[in-house]
Amino acid sequence: MAKFGGWAGTVLHVDLSTGRIWAEDTVEKYKDYLGGTGIGYKIMWEEVLAGTKPYDPNNRIIFAVGPLAGTGAPCNGRTAITTLWPTCWPVPLVASGHMGGQFAAKLKYAGYDAVVIKGRADRPVWLSIVDKHVEIQDARHLWGKGIRWTTTAISQVMGPEAVVAAIGQAGESLVPMSVVMNSVSHSAGGIGSVMGSKNLKAIGVVGTGSVRIAGNKDEWEKLIKYHLSLLGANNQHVVPSSPQPWAEFYAPSSRWKGSKGRAWGAAPHPIETGTCHPHDLNRIAYRTNNAAFFMGDIAWKYTVKGNGCTSCPIRCHTMIKVPSAAAKYGIPEVGQNTCGGLNFGRSFFKSFPDGPRGMTNMEACMVGMYMSDDYGIWCNYSQLQRDFQKLYYSGTIKSKLGEKEFKSYSWDKYEKGDPSFLFELVPRIALKEGELGTILGLGTGYLLERWSIPEKEWKKSQELNYWKFGHPKHHASEEAGQCGVIINTQYNRDPQCHSHVNFIRNGLPLEIQKRLAAEIWGSPDAVDGVGAYTPMNIGKAKMAKWSLLRKELHDSLSLCNWMGPWVASPLKERGYRGDDSIESMLYSLATGDKKSRQELDQVAERIFLLHRALTIRDMDTKEMRTQHDTIPEWVYDDPSHKAVYTKGTTHLDRDDVKLAMDMYYEEMAWDKKTGAPTSFAYQKAGLKKVADELTKKGLLP
Amino acid sequence: MDIANLIRIKSRAGQLVLQKEIFQELIEQKALKSDYREQKGKFEAILKKTIEENGDLKELPDKDGLPRYYSSQFMSETYVRILLRKEENPLMLIAEIVRENSAAYPRPIPLDTFKNSPFELTQEEILACLQKMSDQKDYQDISQTTTSAGAVFLYSNIHLDPGYASMLAEWFDVGQFNNP
Repeated sequence: MAKFGGWAGTVLHVDLSTGRIWAEDTVEKYKDYLGGTGIGYKIMWEEVLAGTKPYDPNNRIIFAVGPLAGTGAPCNGRTAITTLWPTCWPVPLVASGHMGGQFAAKLKYAGYDAVVIKGRADRPVWLSIVDKHVEIQDARHLWGKGIRWTTTAISQVMGPEAVVAAIGQAGESLVPMSVVMNSVSHSAGGIGSVMGSKNLKAIGVVGTGSVRIAGNKDEWEKLIKYHLSLLGANNQHVVPSSPQPWAEFYAPSSRWKGSKGRAWGAAPHPIETGTCHPHDLNRIAYRTNNAAFFMGDIAWKYTVKGNGCTSCPIRCHTMIKVPSAAAKYGIPEVGQNTCGGLNFGRSFFKSFPDGPRGMTNMEACMVGMYMSDDYGIWCNYSQLQRDFQKLYYSGTIKSKLGEKEFKSYSWDKYEKGDPSFLFELVPRIALKEGELGTILGLGTGYLLERWSIPEKEWKKSQELNYWKFGHPKHHASEEAGQCGVIINTQYNRDPQCHSHVNFIRNGLPLEIQKRLAAEIWGSPDAVDGVGAYTPMNIGKAKMAKWSLLRKELHDSLSLCNWMGPWVASPLKERGYRGDDSIESMLYSLATGDKKSRQELDQVAERIFLLHRALTIRDMDTKEMRTQHDTIPEWVYDDPSHKAVYTKGTTHLDRDDVKLAMDMYYEEMAWDKKTGAPTSFAYQKAGLKKVADELTKKGLLP
Repeated sequence: MDIANLIRIKSRAGQLVLQKEIFQELIEQKALKSDYREQKGKFEAILKKTIEENGDLKELPDKDGLPRYYSSQFMSETYVRILLRKEENPLMLIAEIVRENSAAYPRPIPLDTFKNSPFELTQEEILACLQKMSDQKDYQDISQTTTSAGAVFLYSNIHLDPGYASMLAEWFDVGQFNNP
């Protein structure tokens, strides 16, 4: 192990049924899978039999990080958590959730690349990891408590340096739509109830070690500065939202909100974010303000600062202080989160009395964060809220609930956009109270099944964003054309892939995007303007493959795919190029295992293939094209009846999408008819044993 | 502070530097005496030498033909164009920004853009400009679309057709926030 840097060197195993705790060498067994989802999928393949259910004791939860976690590499704070997914419908399949925060680094400093949990404790427990000292602790006093209380209580035992990843009442109650959360606001959805099924309330980690960098220190520091120089704002938006003296380009839709005259108004002394010149690496943290991005300029007055993950200057979890929320709703006046977490509360409502970006909207966000981040409820990329709105306004809730239960909710408050309605709804989801609370916590697929609503109803309209298997789309055809469609077919939940969309939304003019696309994917036509789509071409297939492999690469190295890849940059002198090799440079220098960009992409392909193999094995079919890689009807539909591939419509042509899938499978060297990887594809990726096992089961094309 | 540095600092702050500001700086540095007519030759020689020696320093005439300076290292041509247009007709400022956005990115832009730095127009001023534009033939391409959330976006119908502009405005104002 000493030969390599990066990895901590140990994978920790815990059997909660027997209390056995043991370790194995990371590099010896998992080096070819890097870490993160790579370790997760390998363990799921080797140790969890097909047909296992999410809440079976034999299911595993694998908290895994990569060789870059805990180093100085920017944006390295991601922990991948792999398990059988309880909201995947109709059959639970393997998937992963990802949390930022400080957990990944602390786990490495304690000496571990992964914690693998199996079994079920006979009483509520929490896992204490203090460097080499690992103990299963009694958690009966914590059961029934929220995430904040649990975090505080465990921190009081372990000390202020501890990081605690905990579930709330939702996970304990086996609500599938539940999270595990660390560092106040950093959650991974879908995991909470699997932990709950194992009677595992939390994992607390204190790590006093460090991560060894194999390469030369000066070279490493130079590389870190180089990587920092390529960063934009959150989601790698590389131009500011308004004109700034240094900037050639700007985009009002950019998350780079910092500028002259915009200040963190609720900081102890207001701090102006300033012009954030891209060469000023010490001011990267002033660029992003996701509260202002989502809530509008009103949020600046209430912004305290940006918060975020270990070693990430982006600080996408904007902290806001809203005294009126405390006064009106009796909640803390400070809250922080980003994207779905930040918008959890507001997303239930159709409108607010003072408009979409007024104070009520902000207060709904505050109430939502306060409740969901304590009860530990997952929004499933806001599918929970879209389902709720649809079910309410279509009259389904009224028709399905008994009169007594229906009247127990203040629907007048709901329709008026009163955030106090959330106090009636959210706890009932977390505690499975009543029919409505119960069905909302199931996840979309099981919800529809329980209420006998055909899934195809949810697949009709883009308004619901529903894709398949109980999950929504995540950056699909609406903004990424055929590339977005391909990506959304590949996973067993929403794909959480940002490789493509971070490029598409980077804010650069289309002409520059096309120039960069030609360099990266071999064709300027790999990208179209949003809503100005053109027929499928090979550049789009290459972009889709690259996007998926980079996602798996990031999830295995612990880099943030909500920020990377970094193939565009804010630097005019580079022609706005980023660097497609930054991951391999970081990996090679950190570990000492020199790999080119292409070689590291091959490792990513191995990891992605293992996910595909797990899916095929657990679905017990090789007919992936027709049974798994399905596409909802709304992709082909345009309510305004505009002709396909004309400007102003995002719908696609059915035959062209078939061609897109053909080209993608070809690019992956998979079988076009079934969409399943061939024996050759597995063997080329070093997965001969996987191919052999699938052959025995008749699951190879 | 040398002249080049003065220009760079001002550029970084988003300001063009007037010749008289440079002259004043040199007086404060005691490099020149205060009588401009007496010092004109010396001043112009210092200025010329500075510009020649620093490739990033650029000269621009103002509307009276007097020179101003900026550093291209710290101020982009885009920003310079905005500053120059601000000095002219605000109708032209709005129209040209809208046209550039519609042509290059391409996208409609929120009306509120013009309330922010560096435009800093009031809502009333923007609306008054748009009203005047609607009556003038030079601005007949400047069009509006309103999103479902009530935000007004502006575009040039030379570069974006109304349906496309409307779809993009809805995406930027509503869609992208529902798909974060």
